Amino acid sequence: MIQAIVFLPLIGALVAGAIAIYGAHARNPSGDEMEHGDHGHGAHAHASDAHVHDDHGHDDHGPIEPPAAGSRAAEIITTALLLIAAGLSWVVLVDVGFLKHDARVVLFSWINSGDLNVNWTLRVDTLTAVMLVVVNTVSSLVHLYSIGYMNEDPNRPRFMAYLSLFTFAMLMLVTADNLVQLFFGWEGVGLASYLLIGFWFRKPSANAAAIKAFVVNRVGDFGFALGIFAIFMLVGSTDFDTIFGAAPGLTGKTINFLGWNADALTLTCLLLFMGAMGKSAQFLLHTWLPDAMEGPTPVSALIHAATMVTAGVFMVARLSPLFELAPNAQAVVMLFGASTAFFAATIGLVQNDIKRIIAYSTCSQLGYMFVAMGAGAYSVGMFHLFTHAFFKALLFLGAGSVIHAMHHEQDIRNMGGLKDRIPFTYIVMTIGTLALTGFPLTAGYFSKDAIIESAFVAHNPFALYGFLMTVVAALLTSFYSWRLVFKTFHGEPHDHHHYEQAHESPLTMLVPLGVLAAGSILAGFPFKELFTGHGVGEFFRDSIKNKPDILEEMHHVPALVAYSPTIMMIVGFVVAWLFYIRRPYLPVELANQHQGLYKFLLNKWYFDELYEIIFVRPAKWLGRFLWKKGDGFVIDGFGPDGVSARVLDVTRNVVKLQTGYLYHYAFAMLVGVAGLITWFIFGAGAR
Amino acid sequence: MIIGLGHYLSVAAILFTLGILGIFLNRKNVIVILMSIELILLAVNINLVAFSSFLNDIVGQVFALLVLTVAAAEAAIGLAVLVVYFRNRGSIAVEDINLMKG
Amino acid sequence: MSFQAAGYSLTPALPELVLTVSAMVLLMLGAFRGEKITGLVTALAVAMLVVTGLVVLWLPAGKLTTFGGSFIVDDFARFLKVLALTGSAVALILSRGFLEEPSRRIFEYAILIMLSTVGMMILISAADLITLYLGLELMSLALYVVASSHRDDAKSTEAGLKYFVLGALSSGMLLYGASLIYGFTGTVSFAGIAAAAKEPTTGLVFGLVFLLAGLCFKISAVPFHMWTPDVYEGAPTPVTAFFASAPKVAALAVFTRVALTAFPGITSQWQQIVVFVAIASMVLGSFAAIGQKNIKRLMAYSSIGHMGFALVGLAAGTQEGAQGVLVYIAIYVAMTLGTFSVILAMKRNGQPVETISDFAGLSRTNPLLAFFLAMLLFSLAGIPPLAGFFAKFYVFLAAIKAGLFTLAVIGVVASVIGAFYYLTIIKVMYFDEPKGAVDPVRTELRTVLAVAGGFNMLFFIYPAPLITAATAAAKSLF
Repeated sequence: MIQAIVFLPLIGALVAGAIAIYGAHARNPSGDEMEHGDHGHGAHAHASDAHVHDDHGHDDHGPIEPPAAGSRAAEIITTALLLIAAGLSWVVLVDVGFLKHDARVVLFSWINSGDLNVNWTLRVDTLTAVMLVVVNTVSSLVHLYSIGYMNEDPNRPRFMAYLSLFTFAMLMLVTADNLVQLFFGWEGVGLASYLLIGFWFRKPSANAAAIKAFVVNRVGDFGFALGIFAIFMLVGSTDFDTIFGAAPGLTGKTINFLGWNADALTLTCLLLFMGAMGKSAQFLLHTWLPDAMEGPTPVSALIHAATMVTAGVFMVARLSPLFELAPNAQAVVMLFGASTAFFAATIGLVQNDIKRIIAYSTCSQLGYMFVAMGAGAYSVGMFHLFTHAFFKALLFLGAGSVIHAMHHEQDIRNMGGLKDRIPFTYIVMTIGTLALTGFPLTAGYFSKDAIIESAFVAHNPFALYGFLMTVVAALLTSFYSWRLVFKTFHGEPHDHHHYEQAHESPLTMLVPLGVLAAGSILAGFPFKELFTGHGVGEFFRDSIKNKPDILEEMHHVPALVAYSPTIMMIVGFVVAWLFYIRRPYLPVELANQHQGLYKFLLNKWYFDELYEIIFVRPAKWLGRFLWKKGDGFVIDGFGPDGVSARVLDVTRNVVKLQTGYLYHYAFAMLVGVAGLITWFIFGAGAR
Repeated sequence: MIIGLGHYLSVAAILFTLGILGIFLNRKNVIVILMSIELILLAVNINLVAFSSFLNDIVGQVFALLVLTVAAAEAAIGLAVLVVYFRNRGSIAVEDINLMKG
Repeated sequence: MSFQAAGYSLTPALPELVLTVSAMVLLMLGAFRGEKITGLVTALAVAMLVVTGLVVLWLPAGKLTTFGGSFIVDDFARFLKVLALTGSAVALILSRGFLEEPSRRIFEYAILIMLSTVGMMILISAADLITLYLGLELMSLALYVVASSHRDDAKSTEAGLKYFVLGALSSGMLLYGASLIYGFTGTVSFAGIAAAAKEPTTGLVFGLVFLLAGLCFKISAVPFHMWTPDVYEGAPTPVTAFFASAPKVAALAVFTRVALTAFPGITSQWQQIVVFVAIASMVLGSFAAIGQKNIKRLMAYSSIGHMGFALVGLAAGTQEGAQGVLVYIAIYVAMTLGTFSVILAMKRNGQPVETISDFAGLSRTNPLLAFFLAMLLFSLAGIPPLAGFFAKFYVFLAAIKAGLFTLAVIGVVASVIGAFYYLTIIKVMYFDEPKGAVDPVRTELRTVLAVAGGFNMLFFIYPAPLITAATAAAKSLF
């Protein structure tokens, strides 16, 4: 069964990929057979002029092109396979979580090189099962949604192939039984993310965003890879069970790192967390996530909200036995998580692009999850991951529905009053917002409250900081979320042309929205005990190692602490209502009075500009220097060109020996034999 | 004078050297090369039989007989290839076998 | 070893017998039905090569010996026999186009390749000098004829003649060496030689040098390589593909077996020879290939260089080294056959084209072909993560572990220089102006190309089977 879950998406990806290649070939038979090549020729000319009028930040229609043959087949096959996988995932969750049938399925051996033995193994425990459910449920719904959303795109088979490929890689990641396989999945999702962000590859901003996502993730992956090496050096294995078995013996060991004796476990965990920061867009490595919104909206929902970005959280949870032994690393995790939660929320306050607001919200919510991880309440973090997947995917898909209705308009300043035109979308977006802001009894309420409580009781140098930041972030979250809803759906329409034409989306898009809306409400209460209560030990067993007693302590926090998120939510709602419904002139005045702060937030704390100055410009300068001076002057002058001239001289002489005459050839052989014999009789060989 | 193993080996070595010299000193006729190859094999056979006799071991003579057989086959194939070559080029001078070089 | 103890069972030689008998049956078939059934004979020959491979795998496990201990079947022999049979079968498949021309319907071609393959298998299984010689001659005699199989072509016959003369000379040297070894150890069996040869006496070293010179000729190692470029260029292209694959496997196999099982007592002596020819081959192969205009000639120098790299593993003289040699030769065969299938596919208006400039702009006229060739060339150059990189990696690793640092460094430098000429072809394919469309590619060439190319590109995902098999094979030598 687990094999089916993991490999059905791969089969879907291959079939859809084959259709895409075939279709591309059929449309352009004289051209390149390789997938990207066919767009290089004729398409380019009209591609460039088709985009002159295209504003920045819009989802893209693409030039008028006939859809690839077999689009429908590709959509149906991939979606059907994903739906099957999703159904099976729930079965696995029941089977593993409640019936306790953990499993290790060894597929085959992968690398056997010296001490490094790595197998392709599917590890199924509760943690994996939870992730399987999240990934496959959201992914199948996104597949279904994409059928409607991508309706006008000529390259649908390619899109579906990428989506399924992503799902496969993500499943490999969550079912990994060793760090190398985890890394394979990790890079696989990175690749799929790159391909999907740059799906509309004729749009320069999409290409730039794809490259940015890839490069920023490399920074994290560098740390992650070093972490894996460190673990292999310490333990001599990359298997999780071996690592966890050996971990207690590693406390107090040190590694000499750049001449500095660091605590082995702390250093390793920090390196691994660096990988998590990249993938989960944490503070300092977050800059790629908002830009990733250049991809099609279903991609944002699947990859940049529900699944891939949570891979970092998953990894920390998976390695919880390791992090539990490294309290200093946990402190860092909490510091970064709390900072991200607050920082991203502040930026979300003033953004105007509907997808970017949700992107910063995602960033902020990921920070929440890391706060729980840092507190040692891994199951609580996983709970938020679980609920967040539903309501954030819902918000993104809802935003997609709005964008679809508004003909690819993404700026909320140009929206307004849409609640009458697209009521269903309005209702589900409201449900998503309620869940995100933590309205009582919705999914987000349980998980977010639990995180704030865990931060309060954590024994961590940054516990108080984490608590305060998450509470403040709860206020900000409530404000920007309601701001989004109010500006989009309430008030006066700002663009009458688009408003008049706004229409509800097709059924294939509404069904996933409905399902996710139900999930946003129902994913909380039934699972509360399993993730945060007394059921944790029974449910997760060995797959997660919570800090002892933290869940117990969480149940005894002061009432004010317990209610603080709800209070913050209400305050945020009221302020938003005041600002955008009651007194719409207030925010403008506020922005004018605090010009500096407003600009600071609007420009995302100037991180992009900062990185531009610190990294990009010096790198470009260095590149230019090496190119002009290093390469042009030194190397071309003295290096290869000189060497290659000598090589050609040698070649000419060697080839001259090959005269074509038999007696010369025979003579060469005789010289060879005679030379060897002489060497043995008179030379060193005689000794 | 008692003729010992050394004498046989010397004769064989001289024949072997003559055979090899025959291959790369001769520039006129490929047939001479075929003869030189036979000379080399002859030298080997003298070696084998001499060793066989002095070691009191029959294997060397078996080896020599097998070499004789294979040498016949080799000569046959060599002449066949030579005939085909002659048909194409009308010459079997070693100096002319020079279409390909470099 | 006494004759009685070793036994005379025919079972270990069953694959050879199957192949020989089927070759004779096919010969009769061809003789009675004439050249019109060339296609059928070729197809049956391929089938029988496959069947023989299955028989090899079917043989009982473990070390089998027969014919008084002069014929041995161990994991090493199994690995290389399967590889040689695969090489022969694929080479025969590649020749189908060549044999379809009305003037070239030579049914003997397939039979000669089968007989040559029998020779290779005997060579691989040889456990004494007599078997070695007989196997070598059976293989070579068939090869001489195959090289000149394009009877009306001056180049092809010249290639056959050159190959024959130099081959006979090398056999003479090998035999002379064998006779000296026999004389100074008193035995022809490898096990007996190993027991007797503990000290490097002058006579023995003489014999060793001559013997290895003969074997170096077969694997075209410098300075016994001179025939290679001319024969590769002159012989019909499918024959060249064959020359570059299966016979190399067999010759390298016997080289490894002789060095490791017959002369472990004087390892440092043969090691010096192997190090010298390995360095000379790598360096000459890399340098001489650069100036070539003809792709087949270039492939000849490339194969010289690759044999040098394979010998680096042997020079280590360890089990790891032997494993490296086996991995190298297996990957080399795949790369070479893939590359030759592209060369065979290069036809314009029915005429094969062979110069490197004919590849100009292939990326635009036939992008898939260009892509696969580029991947194969990158692999030949040893660029990760393609298979060719792992081949080099294993032999260099073995050399370093054996302390042969200079050899490893020279090898790496040579492979860098060697990369230059492979990249030149890629540059010509991708950046020069197209010379006009190539003819449609035949199905069998496409299949071979897809399999070989796929193997090269995807080897790194799942290398375990090949590595495991090579480890077992290398272990059986020690």
